[in-house]
Amino acid sequence: MNTLGFDSERCERIRQQLDSYLSNELLVETATEIVCHLESCEACSRDLESRMRVRDALQRAVAKQPVSDSVRAGVLRKLRESQPRYLVRTNGRRWAVGLAAIAFLLFSLFAGEWLSLYRGEQLIASILKLGVSDHLICAIKGHNYPELANSPDQIRKKLGAPYAPLLQVVQERLPGFEVLEGHVCSIPGSNRKYVHFITRGQGTILSVILTERNGASLPKGKFLASAESAGLSIYEDHLSGMKIAGFESAQYFAFVISDLSQKQVLQLARGLAPALNEKLHTTALMLTPNANDWAADAVNRPILTETRECHEKGRCRVQEQRQNG
Amino acid sequence: MPHLADLYRTASLLLRDRHEAEDLIQDTYLEAWKSFHRFEMGTNCRAWLFKIMFHRLHHVRRRLVKTSRVVTIDDPDGQVELAAEPVVPQEIRDEDVLNALEKVAVEFREIVLLADVEEFSYKEIAETLRIPLGTVMSRLSRGRKLLRQELAEVARSYGIDPCPKQAGAAETA
Repeated sequence: MNTLGFDSERCERIRQQLDSYLSNELLVETATEIVCHLESCEACSRDLESRMRVRDALQRAVAKQPVSDSVRAGVLRKLRESQPRYLVRTNGRRWAVGLAAIAFLLFSLFAGEWLSLYRGEQLIASILKLGVSDHLICAIKGHNYPELANSPDQIRKKLGAPYAPLLQVVQERLPGFEVLEGHVCSIPGSNRKYVHFITRGQGTILSVILTERNGASLPKGKFLASAESAGLSIYEDHLSGMKIAGFESAQYFAFVISDLSQKQVLQLARGLAPALNEKLHTTALMLTPNANDWAADAVNRPILTETRECHEKGRCRVQEQRQNG
Repeated sequence: MPHLADLYRTASLLLRDRHEAEDLIQDTYLEAWKSFHRFEMGTNCRAWLFKIMFHRLHHVRRRLVKTSRVVTIDDPDGQVELAAEPVVPQEIRDEDVLNALEKVAVEFREIVLLADVEEFSYKEIAETLRIPLGTVMSRLSRGRKLLRQELAEVARSYGIDPCPKQAGAAETA
């Protein structure tokens, strides 16, 4: 028997996958299974928390390691010395230095641009993965919606003042779909907030998920030229059996996620995009740069706000925040 | 040179010698410059530089092994199961985590650094180190566990019980 109380085969199996979970290398379904297990298993949650604590401490400690100027100078010197001899012989060292400098300037510019692009793609992949995960965990598996739709007032209260006006757009622009629920939620291990509308129609559940761009862009290769809507390019993707269609407004990404056909999801996203885009501009104006932080938005908060919040270690809970008693 | 700091920090933590690390970085950039025509546009430039660095590092390491400066391990793929899950302290100081990392054998340390600090994917790490994906996963898992174990040891060496309440609670679970 071990001291941490991993007394079941299930715990043992989950524990074996925690490293891959931590590295974001699992399929959404497996990650979802782990999240659900963590909700009910304190020992495994504690194990994950411990692993995250060590990883974060390591990242912090390494980032603080100084890199002296001599490293860069040494690299430049080495490159300069390696230049072809004839350049040095004909017009002195200046040619070699100049060439090395230009080469590295170009190299650095290219590398910087690439790094930005690469990190952008990684970010989008992560946003999409979390978005689909949110749909799967929150809507499908978690069943965080009532059988009878919440009233528009209830949904607006849950969304809070900045996002409440979006409800009308989702209601009007998704014909045949009933909005059951709307809230702001997040996924374990991520600080990213998602505005989540859960709708029902055409025999399935469909999510409309919005999240802040923070300067990121969707990969241009996956925009469909044929699926433009009022000048907005529609993006398409699929993940874990879910079809995704979305667009980017000035400050937000918006995704429609469902297991309907790609064509149906695209069509719905096209209908939703222009009006939602317009409303998101108003939302962005209402929100100060820090207003997406719930604590900072107290003035605009409703009397009772129910926020489904998933904590870093993987526990999900409904949090009630009351104001003015 | 946007990747210079990342490469240097990794090199110095693997070689534990500032001068050796500087030499390695110089060689890496020189090699990158000479073979830049082989770089495929649109692929991961950062991973490419790390790949070159680790290729050079293996030469350096072979040399260091001859002077017994690198601890080799009998179980490079981590097949032997470690004892019970180590309990790491709640507060981890920078120097403690770096000291603990230093005690982890280099075969595991390099993977922990690539995965947890540089945030490369398993596939990128496998390509960088030229080892199978399964080996990446098992070494990472064992490397992280060794690090946690070393951190628990560090806490004990200070006379601190890493997490007495937690351990007690777990035993009753």
